[in-house]
Amino acid sequence: MLFSSISFLYYFLPTVLILYFIVPNKFKNTVLLFSSLFFYFYGEPTYVLLMIVSAVSGYLHGLWIEKAKARGGGKLPLASSIFFSLAGLLYFKYTDFFIQNANRLLNTQIPLLKLALPIGISFYTFQILSYVIDVYRGDAKVQKNVLDFLTYVCLFPQLIAGPIVRYTTIEEELKSRKHTLEGFSEGVRRFMIGLSKKVILANTLGELGTHFLNATEKTVLFFWIMTVSFMLQVYFDFSGYSDMAIGLGRIFGFKFLENFNYPFISKSVSEFWRRWHISLGTWFRDYVYIPMGGNRVPVLRWFLNVFVVWFLTGFWHGAQWNFILWGLYFAVLLILEKYVFKAFLEKAPAIVQRVYTLFAVTVSFVLFNADSLEESIRNLKGMFGLLNIPFSGIETVYYLRSYGIVLLIAAIGATPLAAKAFRRLKEKKAGKYVMTFAEPVFLLAMMLLVTGHLVDGSFNPFLYFRF
Amino acid sequence: MREKIKSWVVTVIFSLTLICFAFVNIVSPDLEFSKSERRKLKAFPKVTIKSVLSGDWFDEFEKYTLDQFVLRDFFRGVKAWSRYHLFFQKDNNKIYIANGNINKMEYPLDEKSVIRGAEKLNKIKEKYFKDKNVFVAVIPDKNYFFAPLNGSLSFDYEKMEQLIKENIKDISYIDLFDAMDKDMFYLTDIHWDQEKIIPVADLILKTLGREEKASDFTYEKQKLYPFYGSYYGQAAIKTKPDTLTYLTHAYLDRATVYDYETKEYTDIYRPELFEGYDPYDEFLSGARTILTIENPSNTSGKELIIFRDSFGSSIAPLLLCGYSKITLVDIRYIPYELLGDRLDFSKDIDVLFLYNTMVFNNSAMLR
Repeated sequence: MLFSSISFLYYFLPTVLILYFIVPNKFKNTVLLFSSLFFYFYGEPTYVLLMIVSAVSGYLHGLWIEKAKARGGGKLPLASSIFFSLAGLLYFKYTDFFIQNANRLLNTQIPLLKLALPIGISFYTFQILSYVIDVYRGDAKVQKNVLDFLTYVCLFPQLIAGPIVRYTTIEEELKSRKHTLEGFSEGVRRFMIGLSKKVILANTLGELGTHFLNATEKTVLFFWIMTVSFMLQVYFDFSGYSDMAIGLGRIFGFKFLENFNYPFISKSVSEFWRRWHISLGTWFRDYVYIPMGGNRVPVLRWFLNVFVVWFLTGFWHGAQWNFILWGLYFAVLLILEKYVFKAFLEKAPAIVQRVYTLFAVTVSFVLFNADSLEESIRNLKGMFGLLNIPFSGIETVYYLRSYGIVLLIAAIGATPLAAKAFRRLKEKKAGKYVMTFAEPVFLLAMMLLVTGHLVDGSFNPFLYFRF
Repeated sequence: MREKIKSWVVTVIFSLTLICFAFVNIVSPDLEFSKSERRKLKAFPKVTIKSVLSGDWFDEFEKYTLDQFVLRDFFRGVKAWSRYHLFFQKDNNKIYIANGNINKMEYPLDEKSVIRGAEKLNKIKEKYFKDKNVFVAVIPDKNYFFAPLNGSLSFDYEKMEQLIKENIKDISYIDLFDAMDKDMFYLTDIHWDQEKIIPVADLILKTLGREEKASDFTYEKQKLYPFYGSYYGQAAIKTKPDTLTYLTHAYLDRATVYDYETKEYTDIYRPELFEGYDPYDEFLSGARTILTIENPSNTSGKELIIFRDSFGSSIAPLLLCGYSKITLVDIRYIPYELLGDRLDFSKDIDVLFLYNTMVFNNSAMLR
């Protein structure tokens, strides 16, 4: 089920809200668990069992680790848990990739499994892994209540497209959490902002991408428009989803950590990754990079650490070479930033730093967007005028004029300008007064607008579902 | 305190909106048909274990929730309004409005489809009309006239004409592009306005070798109002309605129409259908597979067969002045191979293929 669907907004969510808030506190997790299982079953009837088995496995391994640690061990159950968790992920997500490459290399014809990718498997697998590793490390207490643990893994606000919520983040809230009017309304605001970002901006930008694919005329300008539009679409799609997840969590009394922090204003690629998909970046930092020694190792070893982490980051996004290349591209940039660009970047004006970062990130999205390496190369060639195509044309101009305002709103919305202006307004007495009435009206208007877009539209995929 | 009031208001508005719409959606009866979109709406999907476990039921339910959402047309209007006036987009679902005139962008040109369409005409000519005079006339859609005025996209119409001319065999091409202008169309509909296409009828009659001219007859204008055309519903935004005008004359009053589907005789004009799902059905009962119109006022014995789309319904009465009988065939609803069983093509008849450009660009619809 999609958050940005009529079935979620006007059937599932009101039902869950009523049930959740009328039952006593001790049954709230049960309501959340069963509604989450239904939420998943709605989109993936077949794989709901896989998710439950994975979660139960994580739960049992947690208990086993705790028991083994008391006897001075714990490595075996940890290894077992990592093995079982990753085996499921590898089998469903990566088997065909390995078979395809084996076939190419060895000239064999091993048939592909062609398995459908269980939605959200990358997210819930990483959540389970973070839990068992934290229990092993002693950073988290083992969860003995199976219902509470299943609620953590299956919690529908973050189940299928993140953010990757660590167990330690909501450990206390799983036991008891406060439900306040302020928390609820804050959650509503956040959810509505995310929903509007997704439905009004990301989906509209997605249409532009579809127009590009269907266009009979390919021009240099159109390649750039398509790339920038895709970059903004991914941002509003994914950050919108994260906002909705955080907002829904808040409505139900959870405080999830932020997943995005205006990444496009970054002054370096390393800063970009501290602002983009924060929960994934910190996951790899804490569970792969630092255990490998982080940056407190000799230079060559550090290179290896960086390449391993970014290879895995790319591979996590999809079982395709262009995703791996995308990850390694960032590894190279991060190394260059540290050893080559650093002196220049530190002295350069902020605008130069931002242009450099935006350019580097824009190129990365060409790799990210393509279905194959060949397509990435073709799109890059198109952007830099190497395809022997005109600079612009009738179709390009039409779509630029038609989507220009949306692109402009999206570009401004990707910066903190609007939030800053909003905060400044709230600091003033008159502004506060106005906002008391204007904010609910604005949220209601967004609700109507989103509903209009959903009722009329059919273009509504979440890009991060495929991960 | 002010923050608390705001929190209350936000919470109440959000919760009430969700719960009220959920309640109304559940209790309100489902609609079978959308008049504005002119299509059947999804019914509540039948629940079976197989459909639930395969996920098909949920897919169908998603479509059902979209189709049956209360105030659906209002919400579609909200979206359309935001596209045009908030984001200044040039179209909404390919629909654009230029000076109150609603148009649809037909784009891009599907060359293969055009060639396939031309080849379909060749096959029909080869099968039934080897030794007959066969003509094709292509009606430009509204976008041909309005796209340049609005800066909208339109396909290469010259290329389409060229492809048709190059691929038809022993079929004469009648150029309607120069005979038409933007004012011949309704504001809210895809079709041309009968009262304004008399010069087009004259051109066709003349090219077919008939001496009679539609412009020689003094027609009486009958008006039906308000006429909300098919684009009106698609645009989902309020604009001025049209007046549907149909032309009557003694020869048209005496003419009889036989419908091969219903095996019934009807009139040329059906004002009672104006209030139905498609008001344009007023002309020759709308979409019909085969119709014959007998004109006792014309005693020449000359017959015309028109392979047509819906544009043919309003021009056929004007062409009737030159013929004793006109047969209208719509091969979007019947495979052309079956026509020989129903109609006699052995007589001396003129043959006209009359299609608008959108049919050629989507010729898979021709069977």
